[in-house]
Amino acid sequence: MKVPAGQPVVVTQIAPAKMTLAEVRAKLDGKTGRRFWKNLDELAETPAFHELMREEFPRQAGANEWVDAVSRRGFLKVMGASLAMAGLAGCTKQPDEAIFPYIKQPEDLVLGKPMYFATAYPFPTGAIPVLVKSDSFRPIKVDGNPEHPMTKGKSDVFTQATLLDLYDPDRSQHVLHRGQVSSWGEFQQAFATAAKKTSGGQGIYFLSETITSPTLAAQWKQVQAAYPQAKLIQWEPVNQDSSRAASKAAFGSYTDAQYKLEEADIILSLDADFLGGIGHPGFLPLAAGYAERHRYEEGKTMNRLYVVETMPTVTGFKAEHRLALKPSEITTFALALANGAAPQGATAEQQKFFAALSSDLKNSGGKCVVIPGEQASAAVHAAAYALNSALGAVGRTVIYTETVNPMPSEQVADLKSLVADMKAGKVQWLVMLGVNPIYSAPWDLGFRDAFANVPVTVQLASQVDETGAISNWHINKTHYLESWSDVRAYDGTISIIQPMIDPMYGGKSSHDVLQALLADPQQSAYDVVVANAKTYIKGDFAAGWRKALHDGWVEGTAFTAKAGGAGKNAVASSPAAAATSGLEVSFRPDPSIYDGRFANVGWLQELPKQVTNLSWDNAAIMSLNTLADLKLDESDPVKISLNGREVIAPAMMIPGHPDGVITVHLGFGRGVEAGRVGQGVGFDAYQIRTTDGLLSVSGATAKKVPGTYDLCITKVHNIEHRGSFAQHDLEKPLYDKEGVYSLAGHEAEERSIIRYATLDEVKKNPNFAHEGGASGTLIDKVGYSPQGETIPKSNSFFPDAWNYEKQDPSTLKIQNAWGMAIDLNSCIGCNACIVSCYAENNIPVVGREQVKVGRNMQWLRIDTYFEGDLHAPKAHFQPMACQHCENAGCEQVCPVGATVHTPEGLNTMVYNRCVGTRYCSNNCPYKVRRFNFLLYSDYDTESLKFMRNPDVSVRSRGVMEKCSYCVQRIEAAKIIADKENREIRDGEIVTACQQACPTSAITFGNINDKASKVAKLKAEERDYQVLADLAFRPRTTYTAGVINPHPELA
Amino acid sequence: MATKGPMQDPIVDPMIDPRTGEYAVIAPGHNFKSVTQKIAGIVLTSNTPLGWFFGLMVGGGVAMGVVIGCTWLFLKGVGIWGVTIPGAWGFAIINFVWWIGIGHAGTLISAILLLFKQTWRNSINRFAEAMTIFAVVCAGTFPLIHVGRPWLAYWLFPYPNTMNVWPQFRSPLAWDVFAVSTYASISIVFWYMGMIPDFGTLRDRATMPLAKYFYGILSLGWRGSTRHWIRYESASLLLAGLSTPLVLSVHTVISFDFAVAALAGWHTTIFPPYFVAGAIYSGFAMVITLAIPIRKFYHLEDLVTLRHLDNMAKVMLGTGLIVAYGYGMEVFMAWYSASHWEFFMMWNRMFGPMGWAYWILILTNITIPLTTLWSRKLRVNVTYLFLLSFVINTGMWFERFVIVVTSLYRDYLPSSWGTYRATKWDYMIYVGTMGLFTFLFFLFVRFLPMIPMSEIRMMLPQTKITRGGADAETVSKETA
Repeated sequence: MKVPAGQPVVVTQIAPAKMTLAEVRAKLDGKTGRRFWKNLDELAETPAFHELMREEFPRQAGANEWVDAVSRRGFLKVMGASLAMAGLAGCTKQPDEAIFPYIKQPEDLVLGKPMYFATAYPFPTGAIPVLVKSDSFRPIKVDGNPEHPMTKGKSDVFTQATLLDLYDPDRSQHVLHRGQVSSWGEFQQAFATAAKKTSGGQGIYFLSETITSPTLAAQWKQVQAAYPQAKLIQWEPVNQDSSRAASKAAFGSYTDAQYKLEEADIILSLDADFLGGIGHPGFLPLAAGYAERHRYEEGKTMNRLYVVETMPTVTGFKAEHRLALKPSEITTFALALANGAAPQGATAEQQKFFAALSSDLKNSGGKCVVIPGEQASAAVHAAAYALNSALGAVGRTVIYTETVNPMPSEQVADLKSLVADMKAGKVQWLVMLGVNPIYSAPWDLGFRDAFANVPVTVQLASQVDETGAISNWHINKTHYLESWSDVRAYDGTISIIQPMIDPMYGGKSSHDVLQALLADPQQSAYDVVVANAKTYIKGDFAAGWRKALHDGWVEGTAFTAKAGGAGKNAVASSPAAAATSGLEVSFRPDPSIYDGRFANVGWLQELPKQVTNLSWDNAAIMSLNTLADLKLDESDPVKISLNGREVIAPAMMIPGHPDGVITVHLGFGRGVEAGRVGQGVGFDAYQIRTTDGLLSVSGATAKKVPGTYDLCITKVHNIEHRGSFAQHDLEKPLYDKEGVYSLAGHEAEERSIIRYATLDEVKKNPNFAHEGGASGTLIDKVGYSPQGETIPKSNSFFPDAWNYEKQDPSTLKIQNAWGMAIDLNSCIGCNACIVSCYAENNIPVVGREQVKVGRNMQWLRIDTYFEGDLHAPKAHFQPMACQHCENAGCEQVCPVGATVHTPEGLNTMVYNRCVGTRYCSNNCPYKVRRFNFLLYSDYDTESLKFMRNPDVSVRSRGVMEKCSYCVQRIEAAKIIADKENREIRDGEIVTACQQACPTSAITFGNINDKASKVAKLKAEERDYQVLADLAFRPRTTYTAGVINPHPELA
Repeated sequence: MATKGPMQDPIVDPMIDPRTGEYAVIAPGHNFKSVTQKIAGIVLTSNTPLGWFFGLMVGGGVAMGVVIGCTWLFLKGVGIWGVTIPGAWGFAIINFVWWIGIGHAGTLISAILLLFKQTWRNSINRFAEAMTIFAVVCAGTFPLIHVGRPWLAYWLFPYPNTMNVWPQFRSPLAWDVFAVSTYASISIVFWYMGMIPDFGTLRDRATMPLAKYFYGILSLGWRGSTRHWIRYESASLLLAGLSTPLVLSVHTVISFDFAVAALAGWHTTIFPPYFVAGAIYSGFAMVITLAIPIRKFYHLEDLVTLRHLDNMAKVMLGTGLIVAYGYGMEVFMAWYSASHWEFFMMWNRMFGPMGWAYWILILTNITIPLTTLWSRKLRVNVTYLFLLSFVINTGMWFERFVIVVTSLYRDYLPSSWGTYRATKWDYMIYVGTMGLFTFLFFLFVRFLPMIPMSEIRMMLPQTKITRGGADAETVSKETA
């Protein structure tokens, strides 16, 4: 039972009688609320306050409470603090009392000046060390920790979005017992008492999310010491079982792999979406390493990426060569590659791919690497181990280390045994830590039925979700930004998680739950972490601890290669792919909401997904041929039947998807439990997922059901012609006679929006981006402007309208001229920049219906263009935001002058002046302006108010908005430079998108400073303007891509 | 007039002027009194026809669409419409251009035809002018409500303010403000001034004290003295001179909204003449739509004769041909310019997902009217003309739809291509303005003289003064 918002949230703060005054004081210590009274005593002594308190908390204020060990005065103090925190939590109405400013200002706080703290975001595949921007003690931006050797300041979609997750208004705010508001103390007591009654913890089971915290593992050891019969099982719907099983077979113990892509000339991904996001372990270093070697520079060997995959991903489309195979075929392919023989029954095209790949791998001299995907079968992992070992890659481009998870396990097997125990009535207490098995467990386990067999079920979760709703106890979980812990990252480095904000709704972490069974149940997570940190912080602990907190990581904790080297070849013992019949179904974590944990994060739901550009939806994704075979059109609802279970999903075609397989993404189709954002979005693919087919399964059938379902896709070209191609025009395509083409992709090349060349071509003509002639530049083919690409200056009435060398009249200095360069070779289309932009610029979420009609508000989008035959296309990614044209069309047509140019070349929006004629958008050839058609900004939800960046206005209805080049960051840098009486240094201003970009594809700076990075990039021959012939002179330019295809496959 | 013999003159219709073979502008048999009685009788009658009440009610009821639509619009924002990115303009702008275009015929009739001394215009100019004003009212609603923050729409006007902020004068939308407001004010003044002599007549003939008072105020003390007439005539000429450039300039400026932009399909120099011609085309169609039922309902066939319909149909034929030339030139230039943008825009306009709109436009604006209006038979066929006027105005609406929507929804970057789907609110407000127009027009025909009595009287044979005792002014009038 959820308690409606508006209810006071402080009850759980009042501990039962045994709480001492000292503890109360300790709890209060350092508490800071949003409203600040002169001091709490003064507040607590006023008669008005007594009255208010009686009204608000009759139970606590009742006379019987006065005899408690907590003195009356102390009690009121707690109440006062709680009220102050109620203000903090923002779930009560604003108090009527006058609010005073600080009398004693907190020491570190300068209002308006943000502070930065290092912490880490725990994720099953390894933590992401982050640096959190905090304004008045509210976290307002999460970015990668620049000092961390792994993240180097970069981040990803999920990490960025954890900010909104923290302020999610649907987070649970209370401990609930059978739906009634209870308290942590009551639970603690009940749990500890019950545990003591068992014989050695018999019947106490923990079901935890994947553990990456050394301290939690240490705590579990202590619990086991006290209760040897208690059990802890880790389970997540998206897990690493394949790699666990394969590594156990190859190495004898569970092992993680670390890849060094900066060393690899040839990369083969076996269904590994290592450029897609942190769902793949080590996304950040892998993406950075890949991009580093994929940059085209004179005298540098470019890497070459081969991808064999099912669902078309950004990794696949970044690859020089991509082979689309069914999951079962990928296993066959990998085993064949490991055995050195071409797979049986391969097509000519596959044979060619196989031959080129094999020769490349062999000739690389060990400078190659094979990466198996976490969603690939164990056999693929075994093949990858064998290949890396045979090719001499181990120790060079890959090392094998102990696992990031201190307690690695094969999760499905464990879950099966747990369910068996539950059914057998062996489970007395089931304590679920951060998992939602009712929603996500494979259906064939019958988890829900077994659940009913358990006398006491407890769930620690941040929301009262599907499991919480039917558990006896629900404990509200703290967010990682509110709690103490420690975690390991991909490379093994330990980071301390430190809270950025007081728990907004109280809340407890897994540490607290385990601690409840130990000798000192009141010990805080902080103490536990400090105690355990002593095992890995070497030297002077106090100094080491401070350094660890400051740096965000503990030196010397990274993993080193495990003894045992390459492991033994376990390929022979790996099961070959089973013969398949019927359609295969491949289950994938969603690129935006993962396994469903981000279902209530609006930024991620609305984010156009990689490659598909789906927003607010998932779909049954299939190829053109499969769509035609099943007699479907896009948006048709299709019933997928698998082992007697059915789910209805909208059909969607994605170019490059293999035939005979349907990919579905997990995490959707949730009910009200998901919260106000996540409920009713998409369909629930867990409904047809079984323990045997967690990754993929064959034998499915798909049939059209009547009706239609309007998919929500942000790029209309994806839907408008593709479906009709598939159905009606396969024989005679509408626009191009040669094959099945994407009209939009075709036009993107015709219009020279996308330009690229192969390595050979760029060597022949480095200026291919302007002179054409390369395979990906058609300038010579289409003269859409009679003058060619660039309009001669003499054609303009104002040839010198933009003078770069403009002097500032007051300082007589040459003014800055801001510009941006985006390297299309490096852009991997991962979307991290968009979410970063969301957080930085207070961009509203508009919802499914609005996105469907094209009103999504992202200032930045990743344009995806498919090139060539849609059965096996290439794709190109292009980040597109306001281009800050020097000769901007938008500025000339605004009737009120609401969009104007600054002397430094920014095209700025004056929100206050905008009346909303939308003429500017019509005249923008890049269509990067976004309009508040309705009141999109959420002015009402209290918790979201804390999240906003105070340096950026929250736009109201009827106002146009767009990318500002993060003008607030430019101004902040100017102020600092002014105070220090110096020029702004190159690289000092980092835009939000640039900051997040894992591959450093975006460069921003002063193009008047010829030594700046951006000026140098713009001086390169490959630098080009999109739509140059319109003479808008955009300040954002793109560096044309260079690909390195195998000569035989080119 | 008929001659005897086998070669019987086909012209036996009393409405046909034997000298010219044309239809007479006024049916024979009218004198000063009959004209005055007929026209003033409509206004001063105490027996308001029931049909009038019915029409007013229907018009008013439909006009509620504007009220309801705008209320919801002001509460929620322009997002209730189908506008989006990339199609940030939709029905509001289409309707605005359409209504303004319709208004143009009234000004053309009252100003340019006056200067060209086309006396046939006299019978229709009053209600054509009224149509102009009501069309401008409908049109003027749209730019104000289509902005995102309508409560700040006054920022488009150059008003002195403490912030010293002015409109951005390079923007065609700022020019629109001047064009439309000038147009509205001149049209109202011209219309009102033309009615002053008639108000005098009504004042004199009114029996009800309220009507006497009302028309007395409106007539501004008109006594019909020669001095009044002299001033009246010269003021008419002056205002006609002022209005004449407006006929050309207003729609030219509105075409700049598109022509100045950098969008393929908008960015074209042919827009000003082609918009003006289109405006007159649709305006005359609307005059016909109004004239035919009015002359039938109020039995004004002898004042608004087939001659008028025939002439208006000829104007439509002429302007329609200019419009057709414009369409042809657009296609030709798309090819001849060798510009990929233009070429793709035209291809997409014709064969893209919204190609149907283009072909409706060609059918209704070009094919149907321009093949049939050559026939005199059809030009004087009242039923046909009435239906055709609807066809043409549908076509003209689609012309603006094609220009606004099909240029926008697939522009330069294929990634931002979208589509446009109007919502029920779009339709509600659009249909609502038609109701508003009808409502205002019904009020007009009931309370104001819809045909200028004074000007009709001047056209009667009785004003032909025989030599000796001729009044100089009326002679000059007649010889014209």
